[in-house]
Amino acid sequence: MTTVDQPREPALSSERGLSRSYARPRRTPLTWVRGGGLAAFLFLVPLLFVFGAFSWYPIVRTAIMAFQHTNLVEAPTWVGFQNFAAVWHDPLFRVAVKNTAYFALLALLFGYPIPLMAAVLMSEVRKRRGVYSVLAFLPVVIPPVVGVLLWKTFYDASSLGVFNTILHWVGLGPYPWLQSQQWAMPSLVLYSTWANAGATIIIYLAALIGVNPELYEAASVDGAGVLRKVWHITLPQIRGVLLVTLILQIIGTAQVFLEPYLFTSGGPNNATLTVLLLIYNYAFANSLGGNYGLATALSLMLAGFLVVFSLVYLRATRSWSTR
Amino acid sequence: MKSTRLAMIVVAVVVLGVGASSAAGSTRAAKKNVTISVASLIPGSTPEAIKQFNAQVAEFEKKNPTIKVKPVEYQWTAPTFAAKLAAGTLPTVFEVPFTDARTLGDRGQLANLTPYFKKLPYHKKYNKAVLAEGTDAKGQIIALPKGAYAQALHYNRALFKQAGLNPNKPPTTWAQIRKDARIISQKTGKPGYVEMAKNDNTAGWILTSVVYSLGGRMEKGTGTHAKATLNNKYTVKALNMLKAMRWTDNSMGSNFDLGWSDINQAFAAGQVGMYISGSDVYTNLVQAYNVNSSIYGLTTVPLAKNAKAGVLGGGTLAAVRPKVNKVQLSAAMKWISFFYEQPLVSKKQAIRNAKTLVANHQPVGVPALPLFNKKQYNLANKWIKPYINVPLGHMKPFLNGIFKQKLIPEPAASTQSVYNALNAVVESVLTNQNTNVGQMLQQANAQAQAAIKQGS
Amino acid sequence: MSKPSSGGGLISELQWLKPGTRWGMRGLQVLLLVALVVIGLGPILWLAKSAITPTIDTISHPMALFPHGAAWSNLSQAWNDVHVGRYFWNTVVIAFGSWAVQIVVATTGGFALSVLRPRYAPLIKGLLLATLFVPAIVLLVPLYIEVVHLPIVHKSLIDSYWALWLPYGASAFNVIIVTRFFDNLPREIFEAAEIDGAGPFQLFWRIVLPMSKPILGVVSVFAVLVSWKDFLWPSLVLPNPNVQPLSVRLPSIELQTSVGVFLAAMFIACLVPIAGFLIFQRSFLGGTGLGGAIKG
Repeated sequence: MTTVDQPREPALSSERGLSRSYARPRRTPLTWVRGGGLAAFLFLVPLLFVFGAFSWYPIVRTAIMAFQHTNLVEAPTWVGFQNFAAVWHDPLFRVAVKNTAYFALLALLFGYPIPLMAAVLMSEVRKRRGVYSVLAFLPVVIPPVVGVLLWKTFYDASSLGVFNTILHWVGLGPYPWLQSQQWAMPSLVLYSTWANAGATIIIYLAALIGVNPELYEAASVDGAGVLRKVWHITLPQIRGVLLVTLILQIIGTAQVFLEPYLFTSGGPNNATLTVLLLIYNYAFANSLGGNYGLATALSLMLAGFLVVFSLVYLRATRSWSTR
Repeated sequence: MKSTRLAMIVVAVVVLGVGASSAAGSTRAAKKNVTISVASLIPGSTPEAIKQFNAQVAEFEKKNPTIKVKPVEYQWTAPTFAAKLAAGTLPTVFEVPFTDARTLGDRGQLANLTPYFKKLPYHKKYNKAVLAEGTDAKGQIIALPKGAYAQALHYNRALFKQAGLNPNKPPTTWAQIRKDARIISQKTGKPGYVEMAKNDNTAGWILTSVVYSLGGRMEKGTGTHAKATLNNKYTVKALNMLKAMRWTDNSMGSNFDLGWSDINQAFAAGQVGMYISGSDVYTNLVQAYNVNSSIYGLTTVPLAKNAKAGVLGGGTLAAVRPKVNKVQLSAAMKWISFFYEQPLVSKKQAIRNAKTLVANHQPVGVPALPLFNKKQYNLANKWIKPYINVPLGHMKPFLNGIFKQKLIPEPAASTQSVYNALNAVVESVLTNQNTNVGQMLQQANAQAQAAIKQGS
Repeated sequence: MSKPSSGGGLISELQWLKPGTRWGMRGLQVLLLVALVVIGLGPILWLAKSAITPTIDTISHPMALFPHGAAWSNLSQAWNDVHVGRYFWNTVVIAFGSWAVQIVVATTGGFALSVLRPRYAPLIKGLLLATLFVPAIVLLVPLYIEVVHLPIVHKSLIDSYWALWLPYGASAFNVIIVTRFFDNLPREIFEAAEIDGAGPFQLFWRIVLPMSKPILGVVSVFAVLVSWKDFLWPSLVLPNPNVQPLSVRLPSIELQTSVGVFLAAMFIACLVPIAGFLIFQRSFLGGTGLGGAIKG
């Protein structure tokens, strides 16, 4: 900053560098204010307040509460790793992890390649590509609660259910959908794909259009067919987007809550119990008050897993995504 | 310095003066109004139901000009109740089920009503068992019973007729239920018998009811030392019955994740032959789904020929928030007495209440279990007889049989956790033909025992 | 981004002239279009039809088209008895408030971090980046307890919309993309304004904000979408049904009314997002694509 006698307007980054060669003046509150520090702080007040109170403080408290026993009536007590041990030994924990992994895997199988193929087809549409985009994105715009409840109607397992009626026309069914321990999770994945594929299609489409057409021309000259061009040019060119959507999808599906909660409440027989639903049950399902220690411990375990997974993933794909 | 001391004296005088005037003001304030909020109807109630409630509020305010009553829509569900309880945003007067009241009272989360209770003119007439549900471990009254129910078998008379069964002769044994269910599903295509199997603890609740009717119990002893007995032979029998109806007879339909509301909704739409639920659900059938009264039939849950067989009973209590002052507590008790209890003990109030309900097309005369002694119960029913607008004739089998049945309270220790432990095995029996009932019951028992020990 | 007037280039002009390729491709695209119509539009059309079909018909013949006429009363019942309009309004209020808070936090914070650059800016940026890696579930329980009982003020935000607006405001993603956008604004304009004597507030209000319309558009779309779709958090902090948004209320309504009225309520709930999408197509599709382009 400058000396006390010369108040200046806030220093921009370009100017900050210069000031270091000057002799450092005494930094008093006055120099701070005059140097524009007050303005910067004032501008940051909304951010600091909102994040401090509703983001950073709760994150720290989760870390603390995972090691405490809390009920909202008395003061919390420290219990060391008891909560983590209790979660680890809860038979429902293993069930939830298995189910969440199953959901993520199925969702990846359906929700990853299909939007890509659709986007490739759409990128080659010459006229009125907008219609395709709008139709594909429409399910994304439907509020998730409406979508789930609508599909719950579709999944009625009697022969009069919507899907069973339609399948009957081609001689299939009736299927139990949400009423079977084998079918419940795939039913959830089917809905989830319908609801979210549109967004992925649009992202892929934007990336596909960005591919330099000259690369394709050069390949055509060399006699490459469509499929070879896709494999050798398209995919490598958009690999950045592919990798990012993959990790985002995995992180997203690991936190699936709404579908199991509204479709099946985690049933039948815990076939659709996911980690998030288990956390919810720990904290909020008991009318007399929840076990917040277990809930925060499991939240930390999940967060830790996702962070580690992301770091490993980023490192492993670093060579692959650099250009 | 002189100026500061003078200033301090002035401040002191002002403060004392303000204090004095506010003290005088507070004696004047004793005559001022007090406002209490009260639980009204479940959200989504019909406009008529709301009008009826407001009419009652107006009448109460007329009788008690210093009390203002604010109705607040209210429905007890586990997560929302816990949230409101923790945040202190429950209405002054709210409702809790039998299963939770005593624990809440022991934790100091309900106001102590004992001094006001003793002043009620009818306080000696209460049914002891029912009053005990609102009494905490120290013997204090922390909630007043507002309604008690017993499990009952609801059946669709129209489907019975369509299947060639006599709607005036509903089944009286479990074997007959099984047989009738099979006939209904074969002749009408609709599920003959449906049982709640949702993960929100209604699955465990109904299974417990069936087990009681066969002669079994889920717990032995009380408090955190109670022993869980979920895997007794009657539970196995109840689950095998379910298995047979589901897989051998295929008489339970195709959708099994039905809870209390779902089953009522399906029944009102004519999609259910028979189901077990509380004896008071007719009110909900009318208020939420406008059920056609001609299809409704009510009978008792059949009891096995076993000394311990009985029917599960439960109910709801009215309670008051803990941190209210004396004036609010007195006002709250006046409301509880006026709205919940008076229609059962005062002829004038009973008739007035019935008239208001009828005027707004609300059901009057839905079978309820006595909160007070038998004499009072019969008296109250006589008072409202001219106003009854529910198909009492269709409910005769229940009314004739219920008082011959032994009423058994829900498992006292960690009730919701016991039900929760049973959910999975019920769901599994209905969705997987190869369910290992014995193994699952053992797991359920361990889970329930752990919860009982913890007092949750 | 190349503007293709003739496809993305995957199929060269030469190949396109071959009838085999052309019709093969066209065939696939027609199939895709049909699939998109059935899958994307189908469920919504069914909802529209069932919203005005009597309950008994929807239950017994779900795919039939008005076998006994239409039941427009479903819609009026949904609006009057079930009060869909009230819950819809709640949703709008929540969306508007959270949009306002997010805009204020992101623009003021981004401006300070990007333009004013106090010494501690890197620390804050680091904290924001770290927050981005923390899954939302980690916050849930302590945030809930905090809202139930605010630490210093000892009040409760339960049933108040501030319990939604303020936590939504803490979106690290918003602040980061706004900061990046401001980073890319030409510095010369700022310096020129400074020379003319503009203070930081004028710089913010008169220069930076007007230039930020594109990024504010993206932030707005995300803000409204997130608050419109959210279910878990509003369901926890708004137990009073009168203040609940549609997303929280609809599951309860499902169990308290007949099927026909419920479907009508759902249809009404869909109308605004669909209409909004059709009108503001470009922002939606562009914004999502932009997200991809930034990361790609």
